[in-house]
Amino acid sequence: MPILKNIAAIAKGMSITFMEMFQPTEVENYPDGPGPLKGAKFQERFRGVHVLQRDENGLEKCVACFLCAANCPSNCIYIEAAENTAENRVSGAERYAKVYNIDYNRCIFCGYCVEACPTDAITHGHGFELATFNASNLVYRKEQMLAPMPAHMGANAVFNQAEVNQGAPAVPVQGV
Amino acid sequence: MADAPKLVNLTVDGKKLTAPAGSLLIDACKNVGIEVPSFCYYPNLSLQGACRMCLVRVEKMPKLQTACTTVVAEGMVVATDNEEIKQARKAMVELLLGNHPLDCPVCDAGGECELQDMTFSYGAAESKYMEPKNHKDEQQWSPVVFFDRPRCILCYRCVRVCGEGMDVWALGVQNRGVSSIIAPNKEDHLECEECGMCIDICPVGALTSGAYRYKTRPWEMNHVGTTCAHCADGCKTTLGVRRADEGMEIVRGDNRDKSGINNDFLCMKGRYAFDFANHEDRLTQPLIRKNGKLTPSTWEEAFELVGKKLNEVRMRDGGSAIGVIGSTHTTNEENYLLQKFARAVLESNNIDHHRTADFPALAAVLSGKQEITASMRDVYNAPAILLIGNDPTEQHPLLAWQIRNNVRLHGAKLHIINSEPIKLRRQATSFTQIPVGAELNAASFLAGDDSALNAITASASRENWAALRNQLRNTENLVIIFGSEIRGAAVTAVTHLASSISGAKVIALADYANSRGASDMGLYPDLLPGYHPAAKSGLTLPQMAENAKSGKLKALYVVGSNPLARFHLDSQIFAGTFVVVQDMFLTETATIADVVLPAANLYEKTGTITNTCGDVQIVKKASEVNGPKSDFEMIVRIADAMGYDVRNLVPFGRGETADMGQSRGAQSGEADRHAVWLQANNLEPKLSPFDPMAIFDEIQRLVPGYRVSRLNLLSGNDEHTQLSQSGPGAKHDPALIVPAHDNLFSSGTLGRYSRALNSVMENRNPQPAEVAAD
Amino acid sequence: MADLVSHPDEVRVVSKRFGKGATNIDRYIELDGYKAVRKALTMEPDAIINEVKNSGLRGRGGAGFSTGLKWSFVPKQASKPKYILCNGDESEPGTCKDRLIFEHDPHAVIEGVMIAALAVGATKGYIYIRGEYRYLSEIMQKAIADVYAKGFAGKNIFGSGKDLDIYWHGGAGAYEVGEESALMESLEGKRGIPRIRPPFPAVVGLWGGPTVINNAETLASVPHILLGGAEWYANLGPPKNGGTRLFCLAGDLEKPGVYELPMGYNLKKMIYEVGGGIPNGRKLKAVVPGGSSTPILLPEEIDVAMDFDSVAKTGSMLGSGGVVVLDDTVCMVKFALRTIKFYQHESCGWCIPCREGTDWLKKTLIRFHNGAGLKKDIDNMYYLSENMLGRTFCPLGDAAAMPMMAFVKKFRKEFEDHLDGKPCPYEKASEEINRELAVL
Repeated sequence: MPILKNIAAIAKGMSITFMEMFQPTEVENYPDGPGPLKGAKFQERFRGVHVLQRDENGLEKCVACFLCAANCPSNCIYIEAAENTAENRVSGAERYAKVYNIDYNRCIFCGYCVEACPTDAITHGHGFELATFNASNLVYRKEQMLAPMPAHMGANAVFNQAEVNQGAPAVPVQGV
Repeated sequence: MADAPKLVNLTVDGKKLTAPAGSLLIDACKNVGIEVPSFCYYPNLSLQGACRMCLVRVEKMPKLQTACTTVVAEGMVVATDNEEIKQARKAMVELLLGNHPLDCPVCDAGGECELQDMTFSYGAAESKYMEPKNHKDEQQWSPVVFFDRPRCILCYRCVRVCGEGMDVWALGVQNRGVSSIIAPNKEDHLECEECGMCIDICPVGALTSGAYRYKTRPWEMNHVGTTCAHCADGCKTTLGVRRADEGMEIVRGDNRDKSGINNDFLCMKGRYAFDFANHEDRLTQPLIRKNGKLTPSTWEEAFELVGKKLNEVRMRDGGSAIGVIGSTHTTNEENYLLQKFARAVLESNNIDHHRTADFPALAAVLSGKQEITASMRDVYNAPAILLIGNDPTEQHPLLAWQIRNNVRLHGAKLHIINSEPIKLRRQATSFTQIPVGAELNAASFLAGDDSALNAITASASRENWAALRNQLRNTENLVIIFGSEIRGAAVTAVTHLASSISGAKVIALADYANSRGASDMGLYPDLLPGYHPAAKSGLTLPQMAENAKSGKLKALYVVGSNPLARFHLDSQIFAGTFVVVQDMFLTETATIADVVLPAANLYEKTGTITNTCGDVQIVKKASEVNGPKSDFEMIVRIADAMGYDVRNLVPFGRGETADMGQSRGAQSGEADRHAVWLQANNLEPKLSPFDPMAIFDEIQRLVPGYRVSRLNLLSGNDEHTQLSQSGPGAKHDPALIVPAHDNLFSSGTLGRYSRALNSVMENRNPQPAEVAAD
Repeated sequence: MADLVSHPDEVRVVSKRFGKGATNIDRYIELDGYKAVRKALTMEPDAIINEVKNSGLRGRGGAGFSTGLKWSFVPKQASKPKYILCNGDESEPGTCKDRLIFEHDPHAVIEGVMIAALAVGATKGYIYIRGEYRYLSEIMQKAIADVYAKGFAGKNIFGSGKDLDIYWHGGAGAYEVGEESALMESLEGKRGIPRIRPPFPAVVGLWGGPTVINNAETLASVPHILLGGAEWYANLGPPKNGGTRLFCLAGDLEKPGVYELPMGYNLKKMIYEVGGGIPNGRKLKAVVPGGSSTPILLPEEIDVAMDFDSVAKTGSMLGSGGVVVLDDTVCMVKFALRTIKFYQHESCGWCIPCREGTDWLKKTLIRFHNGAGLKKDIDNMYYLSENMLGRTFCPLGDAAAMPMMAFVKKFRKEFEDHLDGKPCPYEKASEEINRELAVL
């Protein structure tokens, strides 16, 4: 009975069509959507602009080991290392990155730097609106990529003292 | 030469091989390309057998044997590559990593760490270790030496190289078992020669250098093989260079490929004192005196002014009113060019430099005779050494290293004649102390003049002297090394002693990186390059000062020298003289100059330099500071500004093909490879008037001793130049020689501007290091 | 000062003069003292060596190497002076025999040194006494002074025209120095770290001279051999294991102490008859046959003759004669910890496997005993010991690895009983070890 078989197959296919027909419409209304992302939605794994993380003490995780730079296929990471001193402690280990630049003219968002990082200092954030009229704006400095201090560390110029007294959570804030 | 050693046959991993009897299994394996890993084994140091990495299975032995302590034997059957050995190595790395902090990302050794390499090659992928790691805080032992105990694997290389190699014995071991710790000789700090050999030899990042630590990573640097800019020993060094705001910055000095005359040796200066290049006082712009003040100007303005003024003086008062003072820190090419410039462009024979050894006297004795100058390599292999004057430990660290290790490893006999109880006497077979200034008497006696002793010694000790002389006369292949105490007639006496002994050779010790080169290149008023007499003799340095005082010297051109400070000259005497100074810093001489031109140093240019033994080596451009120019370029441009056809000065532009890469050196190394190719094809690289190789062609044609293998030289090897084919030399007033009296931690102007040297000097206990070492 | 014990099975050779005031030189001479050395003076050196060789005397320090053979390795002609070195650095846990010899019969050791010196042609003898045996060095000091006063040492000994100097030297408290080459380093004033061999001490030893190093008990036996004859001595024990030996019975026994028994004496008999058995009706759990570095024996393995070769067949070693008996109240994990702690503390730190291995084992065992052990730790401990064994610079690493492997192999169940955060099931019973651990 080939006809019956065909009808069954069509019915099966169409059932999915009809099922989907009544689901709510999902259209990304970027860039006119609500919220800071303007309607854009990401998978967690999306590789956007890098974020340089801090540890639980608010110190930079990056120890300037240069492994990300060594691993970078497009050679877009530039680092200058310096030694932490008692007076000026920037990272948790002996060394920190005095200069940490990523040249987004060249970055291909491959994530090798994240893979290479032994201290989980560099991660991909969800920042994506990188377009600019001036290419030199695309060289991001450390300050642009660094995760902000958690509020209770007192890094922000304005913060809510009541929240501090409560003990605000030290959740690293997503960059960009 | 000794007889060829007996060979024994053995089998390693089924491979039949032969090795000299008495050699170690680990070396025999290495020679045929079988790798036996080890941490504690280091060639030429005593055996430890402590790291147990080199375990191999030797047939008929109950246990695994350490290849580093096993001597090869006839018919030995060895396995280095079976499962048992692999497991032993793996376990050894596992054990070692137990307490080892895995801070490779911040560790200085990361990337060139032997433990990392071993772990990759032989270790386990996973760690079984679950216990807390032992920790000790990092210690700073000296301005340049830091120690991180947790990283230490206790291979004792540092202890051995410090004791056996350097004869300093500043390191030892405290406690036992897992608490064992390498400890410095003065509880919490080092009192030593700060040579940094311990840091260099450390297979891991336990010992780190104050100059380099946490600055960069090994693979981030360019490594440029060049020659050290400090003393006259001419150590080959590899400079680690990285990008910096102001060009290229040197961050590390070592001799990582262990090649050259110094193998892995470098002293404090070679290892750390490159930082003068980035000193904040470094001049980067030409300065011209305007209204009595030195004001920054442009290069063009400066050259124009210098050219105009020098031309004026030459036209008005003749060349004899112009003086030129050369440098002991510039390349042979620059020195040659400078004397050519003085004689051809300025038409003046008034050229001199800071003399620290009497090479013209040596040339005078040797000229046309048998060649008997020794190279630095000879010092390491000679069966006996006679050292008259000087204190190599302080002034010639490499020479002292060669002597010490020759004595230690080859059993050489060392005889010392000195007015001071110098430290090398600890290695000496005989040490004879003489009154200060009696070196001539000693030399004359040894050369055969019995009466020479009368003035300096009581008759009682004559027998010892006679015995010493007899012993020396009967020592074949003796190497005689003498300091600047031996001048004039004494040089003749010593050389006569040497020529009376079969195979004996001599070394005259000068004080600066290219003192010998300055001398060979004819920075003398009466000598041309190659010690040929000049037609008309000019003024020596002190005479120039006198003429300046009496107003007869109208212009003075100083290249990389500081005569005001060195000869304690009154700055007022140059009031009527037009003074041009090329230097890195505003030295005493530069402050009175009318024009100061910022110069590049030896690490920032290419050329050749000759060490005190006459070994010529190449220097390559490593670092770069924006602004200064090489002395070579400046001399050519001044000649140009004077209206002189620079083609007559630098023979360029005549070759069929040309080298454009000369100034690129550091980054690519291309220039040198290209030059090698040109040489191999019988072509000469000459396009640029600033190309030192064009002048080197001329040097090789005109200075007899310098006809050495160009290919070998450009490949970074040392080539011994000869004095005996040179001109007749000259007898100079011995008083013209002014020893530098630098010690381990000072180095003339360079040292003054080195933070590393200064910090060590500040830290140093006033007591001499030798007391501590005893 | 320890009380002396006795048992009818004892054959008193070395301990003949114990408790008889032989520290006094006159009393010692009365008790046949210095007769053997007078005899040796009349003999050819080779004859002395042969006599010792034939007696079957084997080193009492633990390795059991033939003493006569060791002496014969010393070159007849040497450019450097030869030395005799008496190893009295007795530090093996469970062993306390040399201590009694030094305490009761110091002259026997001196006499032994003299005979050895005559046999190999040495002119200097050193008696190295463990640093912790402070009071013994006073006894030895006096004995040496007496010997010099009698003219037995120094120039022209016994009027024979030969010269021989005897010195004593105290240790500084390192187990490691019981190893012969480390002992030489210590004696030369350096860190007590073993030397690379070859060359062996018999060829290049103390200050580069040929050196014979023997245990104190070995040397104390030598005079008796010369007096009694090689055959008499050899027949005291089984073939190839001549003579008697001081066994130090320790641990859970009714009558612990040092007994001199012929070589090859049955271990079971030694425990139950000589040592009087286990007190309080408890059961035997394990026996350490020859000092803490020898692998432990289970009760079913103890029916063995105590000579070098028989004990070796059980997979253990006769060692230094320190028999430690453990009853069923002992926690074997804790006992292992106690043993490894000792080796961790005493490791000289020279080579990696011993330095890091003992530390690793100690840390694991502490964690394990505290109830934080994992199943894989048991295998890991065995793995570590296995990889230390035979790969260290000197036998100290082996000394730690061998018993550890035996603990894991033979008492695996007890290790497993500590798993899963359980409190030590044997804890209460091993108060004594607890106390000891607290001190460390």
